[in-house]
Amino acid sequence: MLDVFDKFREYSVAEFFKKNRQMLGFSGKIRSLTTIVHEYVSNSLDACEEYEILPEIKIELRELENGNIVVKVQDNGIGIPEKLIGKALGQMLAGTKFTRYAQQRGQQGIGASGCTMYALLTTGKPIYVESRYDKTLVKCNLTIDFKSNRPVLTNLQKQQILEGQSQQRLDIVKEKNIDGTGVLIEAEFGDVKYDGGVYGIYEYLKRTALANPHAQITLIEPNGNSAFFPRSDNKIPPKPKDILPHPLGITAHDLIDFAKRSENNNISSFLQQSFSRMSANKVQEIKTLTQEMNFGKKPKDLNWEEADKLVKIFKQMKWIAPAVDSIIPIGKEQIEKAMKNILIPEFIAIAERNPKVFRGGIPFLVEVAIAYGGNSGKSNAEGKRSGDIIRFANKVPLLFDAGACGLTEAVKNLDWKRYGIKNFDECAITILINFVSVHVPYTGAGKQSIAQDEEILDEIRNAVQETARIMQKYIGNVVREREKEGKKKAVLRYIEQLSKDLSELSNGKNTDELTRKLIEIVEKKYSGETKEEKTEITNKKEGIEKSIEE
Amino acid sequence: MNPKKIEDQEQKTLFGLGEKETLFRLEGFGKKLIEEVQKGEEPKFQMPLRSRSNILYDEGMKFLRIGNKKEERRFVSVGQAKKFMQTIAIANKAKKFISEDLHTSIRGLYYQLKVTLGEDIDEELFSEQSESNELIEDLEVALSVKREDFNLTTDRKGVVAGPLKIMDTFAGEETIIDGTKMGRSGWMIPSDVDNGMEFIDVTAKYVLVIEKDAIWQRLNEDKFWKKENCIIITPKGQASRGTRRLIRKLADKGLPIYAFTDCDAWGWYIYWTIKTGSMNLAYLGRDFAVPEMKFIGVTMKDINNYGFLQKLTINAKEVDLKRAEEMLSYPWINAHKQWIEELKMVLKTKKKLEQDALQGQKLTFVGEYIKKKIEINDLMP
Repeated sequence: MLDVFDKFREYSVAEFFKKNRQMLGFSGKIRSLTTIVHEYVSNSLDACEEYEILPEIKIELRELENGNIVVKVQDNGIGIPEKLIGKALGQMLAGTKFTRYAQQRGQQGIGASGCTMYALLTTGKPIYVESRYDKTLVKCNLTIDFKSNRPVLTNLQKQQILEGQSQQRLDIVKEKNIDGTGVLIEAEFGDVKYDGGVYGIYEYLKRTALANPHAQITLIEPNGNSAFFPRSDNKIPPKPKDILPHPLGITAHDLIDFAKRSENNNISSFLQQSFSRMSANKVQEIKTLTQEMNFGKKPKDLNWEEADKLVKIFKQMKWIAPAVDSIIPIGKEQIEKAMKNILIPEFIAIAERNPKVFRGGIPFLVEVAIAYGGNSGKSNAEGKRSGDIIRFANKVPLLFDAGACGLTEAVKNLDWKRYGIKNFDECAITILINFVSVHVPYTGAGKQSIAQDEEILDEIRNAVQETARIMQKYIGNVVREREKEGKKKAVLRYIEQLSKDLSELSNGKNTDELTRKLIEIVEKKYSGETKEEKTEITNKKEGIEKSIEE
Repeated sequence: MNPKKIEDQEQKTLFGLGEKETLFRLEGFGKKLIEEVQKGEEPKFQMPLRSRSNILYDEGMKFLRIGNKKEERRFVSVGQAKKFMQTIAIANKAKKFISEDLHTSIRGLYYQLKVTLGEDIDEELFSEQSESNELIEDLEVALSVKREDFNLTTDRKGVVAGPLKIMDTFAGEETIIDGTKMGRSGWMIPSDVDNGMEFIDVTAKYVLVIEKDAIWQRLNEDKFWKKENCIIITPKGQASRGTRRLIRKLADKGLPIYAFTDCDAWGWYIYWTIKTGSMNLAYLGRDFAVPEMKFIGVTMKDINNYGFLQKLTINAKEVDLKRAEEMLSYPWINAHKQWIEELKMVLKTKKKLEQDALQGQKLTFVGEYIKKKIEINDLMP
């Protein structure tokens, strides 16, 4: 049941990251705070989904007099067992994610521990943790010993929160989604800043809610305002399947990393068991291509040159594509519900695309949705709505480095006029792009932008264009309807005056009846046809105009 | 020439329809539209198209007139709804003016109609006078009724003197206008010379139309009209509707009409506008054209015939030359050999000549010049 926690591996890297904190996304005060919230919220969402719990996450920010900000995040996930609290929140590269190869929100497992580290670096204070796991509530403070990359728990308190069997408890949690288990983290950070703009927490959570319609998220901002993003859909997304890495998706570094941890007796069996689509025949093919390499030695003895050579050979070979069921998109219906709920748009267009592959075999899927009207778009400097492109990788909002990102690049030069949008920057329109893959080709350790591979750019362009075409039809219809309505109004407004003058002119008595009749005629005309008839009638025969002559 | 009663000839024109006929047409117009609405049809009316493409020169009749093309005005059309409503509003207002026997200018009409369309409509019936001016023309054309019959006046311009008597029925009083008793200033021609205006007695031999007021005053002081038994009219530049109608009516009476203008673009324009009508008022056709009118001068040929004029020419301006070239291309002008010669001479010498130059040697020479030209029939068509 809880085998996920058996997958912990230890890496003494705290010292390294202490010196290279920007690699974790801790660069700039605003971005640092967003990163912190991102890490905690991602963990919370994963912890809920893993056990099919509908997430309820509450984020509270409090600004202290010295400028520090206290971040409090509470979820209703499964909680963390006491013995793993330290590893989960206080040890670098020790998360559950690192050794799994599936589509995940984070990919490196340095997140929450990185936050602990950042709290320590900027305030010197430990973080406070409460974990309700199974039937026990654990409260403690947590710090990291940087030299040894070891978590240190202090002030540990334990209490029973529920009698009975643990399985029973889990069943209750599952069925009723009651507020029983979960994690609460409260930590103080310096060198951070709260910002209400597009790089801030509000925008991040709004986008998270858009990509996770099954989650309910509450934010209490430092000024006391609260924002609530309600759940739009009760369907918990299916768990992504764990799959073996595909030979085309790995680097030499990955290969050595896997090899070091392999328990196989020789490289042949290591290859066959560690990678998908790697049959005995394929191993044989590799052997014929690298005859000088010793495939009988222990995997842990694989050296860098050999690994590099193997990866190069992988790329020369033909492979069956990776299984696509490892890819879990948000889903058309879910996006629609979330957008309706959060953006209250006039219209939503969503493209349904098939998975594609990049770099020769890594499957990926692009989800694109356009919300038009209502609260779509973002506020610009003048307080008006402006077009917005919101990027996601595996449902995680990408707020930063938009300029370098393939998702932005793909839509940058799109001619929106062709799709009925006169000026993208002055239109209430949100373009949602979610890049889904077991391997997201981030361009930096900050994980905020996606590589500009041609296959990816092409697919995104196609998806956005497909969606934009759907929207264009809608806008076309709306514009036509409005024009028709406008035309009708333009004529209707003159009826009263015309009726009055016409009656007087012809000594008529019933002005009201005339008005009624005229309205009928106008309504009838604009209910159907829209074409204006030509006004000029030309008589072919030229001659003297009798009416004037006589 | 014997005095003639005008009445029988007057019937030929549409002028002076009289209030009864005008009201009948206005009401009929409204009734026809209401009938359409009651049948569930869009209210609409047709009228001759007034654009350039539908203006032509009538070879037989020798004036500019409107062709056979029609345009339709429909209410249920975004582009036309407002104009349609405005046209009917003008018609209704005209009906009121006639019923109340009150006259006003087209500006007065505009102010009468510059009202808001209703409490909940942030729009005026008319907000620019140019809108109503245009629609007045529409209505004139659509109903074959002239604006003067709608009791709409235009600014008066033009002065007349000479042996003609007119009965002016106005504001409930009858006044006899005697063109021989107007002293130095003459009689200012009103905008409407049809309704309430009746020629009692016209004993003149001919009518002389003089471009410039200064020359008119010269001839008036010289008692030219008395000596010659003619009527002298100055339009004071471009002729007003009233002046053109008066000339037309005098021509209808059988009087020869002679024009005396500068020898330049403006002078020719004044002459040809009175003679053949103008593009703008082509829809009025014969009522505003005097094809039988003849041109006395001044001409380029005069420079050869009157030696002193040689020193009194002035350089033609760009506009004069351009105008001369244009005129050469008009079929109703280049049909006349004399005009071709005259205009070519202007283009060749790049000179022009003013009426006033005739006073160069002797002030009273103007009258002698005119008299002589008419006597020897040295006239241009």
